[in-house]
Amino acid sequence: MRPSRQQADEPGREREAADGAETPSAEAEEAESREDYALDYDYSNFFWGTGDDAFGVLGPFEEWFDIARPRGYYLFGMPMQTPPAARADVVETKDRQRLSGLINFASYNYLGLSHRPEVIEAAVEATRAYGTGASGSPILSGTMEIHEELARAIAEFKGQEEALLFPSGYSANVGIIAGLMRSGDLVVTDQYAHASIVDGIILSKANVRYFRHNSAADLERKLRDFGGRKLVILEGVYSMDGDLAALPEIVEVCKRNKTRIMIDEAHSAFLFGEHGRGIAEHFGLDEDIDIHFGTFSKTLGGQGGYVAGSHMLIKYLRGFARARVFSCALAPGVVGGLIKALEIVRTEPQLRRKLWDNVAYMQKCLKERGVDIGPSESQVIPIMIRDDDRIFEVAEDMIHAGVYLNPVRYPAVGKHRSRFRISVTAGHSRDDLREGADIIARVLERNGFL
Amino acid sequence: MSPTEYHFRHAVSAFFEMNRDAAKALLPPHLEPFEPHHGLAVFAVTTFDFVKSEVGGYQEIVLAVITPPLVTSTGQWPRSAFYPFVVGTNTEASRLHAIERWHLPHYMADVSIDFDEGPEHVGIRVREAESPILDVTVRAHKWTRVDHLYQSFMFDRGKSFKSNIHMAGEFTEHEEEAGELAIHRHPMTERLLDADVETYPFRELWMKNGVQTFEGLETL
Repeated sequence: MRPSRQQADEPGREREAADGAETPSAEAEEAESREDYALDYDYSNFFWGTGDDAFGVLGPFEEWFDIARPRGYYLFGMPMQTPPAARADVVETKDRQRLSGLINFASYNYLGLSHRPEVIEAAVEATRAYGTGASGSPILSGTMEIHEELARAIAEFKGQEEALLFPSGYSANVGIIAGLMRSGDLVVTDQYAHASIVDGIILSKANVRYFRHNSAADLERKLRDFGGRKLVILEGVYSMDGDLAALPEIVEVCKRNKTRIMIDEAHSAFLFGEHGRGIAEHFGLDEDIDIHFGTFSKTLGGQGGYVAGSHMLIKYLRGFARARVFSCALAPGVVGGLIKALEIVRTEPQLRRKLWDNVAYMQKCLKERGVDIGPSESQVIPIMIRDDDRIFEVAEDMIHAGVYLNPVRYPAVGKHRSRFRISVTAGHSRDDLREGADIIARVLERNGFL
Repeated sequence: MSPTEYHFRHAVSAFFEMNRDAAKALLPPHLEPFEPHHGLAVFAVTTFDFVKSEVGGYQEIVLAVITPPLVTSTGQWPRSAFYPFVVGTNTEASRLHAIERWHLPHYMADVSIDFDEGPEHVGIRVREAESPILDVTVRAHKWTRVDHLYQSFMFDRGKSFKSNIHMAGEFTEHEEEAGELAIHRHPMTERLLDADVETYPFRELWMKNGVQTFEGLETL
């Protein structure tokens, strides 16, 4: 019954065979059914296996994915051939064609720092000075002077006593949460919390409750009857809708319930607030946050993550954040680039002003064209499609029309809450944004979404 | 066993997050709850307005925990799977039929199920005489025609069973979190009252004018 690889790669074959025969075989009917319904399934259908063989689920998954990939999943992970700048060249992997000069709304390079010449030069200098890798755990031989320099610079920038570096944002969240919370504790987090937060909670073995997105009232309900150690975790900017944390209300609830609070500023650090410290600064609540988390891979255009807070917190996590202890320290070249990128953030506030001007302009352009951008209040702007069956075909049309953006569908968002997620950057020109909005509106209109 | 068909006017489901440990306590030992997020399981309410079956027309409510499906290399992939922990109907004949043929656990008194259909929503009230059991509201999204495969697991007197169930008809589904649920104190719902069941569905499904087909019963 299993279709051959050739059949799976050539979706028309089974249907042709079935049409040509007087009576379609059961196999042909089954294959056709799978073709028809391939996009009705997703990764979540193949999470669990069947039977006693740990590889038992691999075959069914491969059969589904080989059908589903050319229908849209190929749009994820297409290789870029240029820096993630305002315009980018991308290899479309279904037909292996190079798409040049796309308006790039897919990258997190919010201030355009990943390809700034002075950042690249700093990365090269650090690589020349220290080599390509740290060659050790940060608690053994992997810490170099530039790691300490970056940690000091981050702590100073965030207005915190001390900071600790991690090899990725994911490992930072996992390391902080599992380093601090224990079995029997309670972590309460927003229902839209990032996977790295959830995985940190799993690894900590703490109890978990989720509060309805941005609802301080539901958070209070979830905290009220628990008497032990508690931690609330929220994000500054939510990465699928681009809306901001309801931080003032949530801080009040945490104070009333004597609960520590951690904020994930992956998409907001170095952007929000007068000095760019993040959402906590934006709301004037820096002092009310116990744990400040952020990443280096978005606005700073590098790689890695950090936690900033009190000396006591950092001292403890230095010993107990296993995701850091048992990983190699950040590559020196990355660290050199990050130090320069952070310096640019501090010394060029006009970059943030340009970003916010661009965000306002893009939101205006999209709204004027009748595009539904959901609740976005930030540089992350969803283009709501709300049709899981058609999001990929519209995405194909978008990319061939000249814009590179990320399609998002279940299970990354709720069923039929599919959307395109666009990232506006300071590197976009007004012409890029106007042209991008025109293309988006045109494609939506010809596909019946406007 | 040849396929058994149940023709329905409405089939309405709503999925709610609930405490994972409470869900596990509703399942037989060989089944695990599906976890959409760590620590959470899924409680599903499904109500049917059957217009034609071997036992005539009747109405049914199924309270279930969603479980991982058995995914194999043959046949249509299942969309999801569930374990009904209690079923209620408004006729004795329908209960005896489902117990005998499908080993489904039933609440043995008649319950009434009212479907209040509007242009974009359907409200369902489940009662036993004057005693409220459950109220749920589901809203529509885009309508399409589908033929979906689900799996139902049953456990009766130490034996485990599975049936493949096709649901064909007009279908709408979304996760706009627009619906509502009220669970009232009643013998059918008593094991849900301390299970941290959310008051709004994260997923809403509504089918109209379709056929539910049980392929047969497998002993696991």
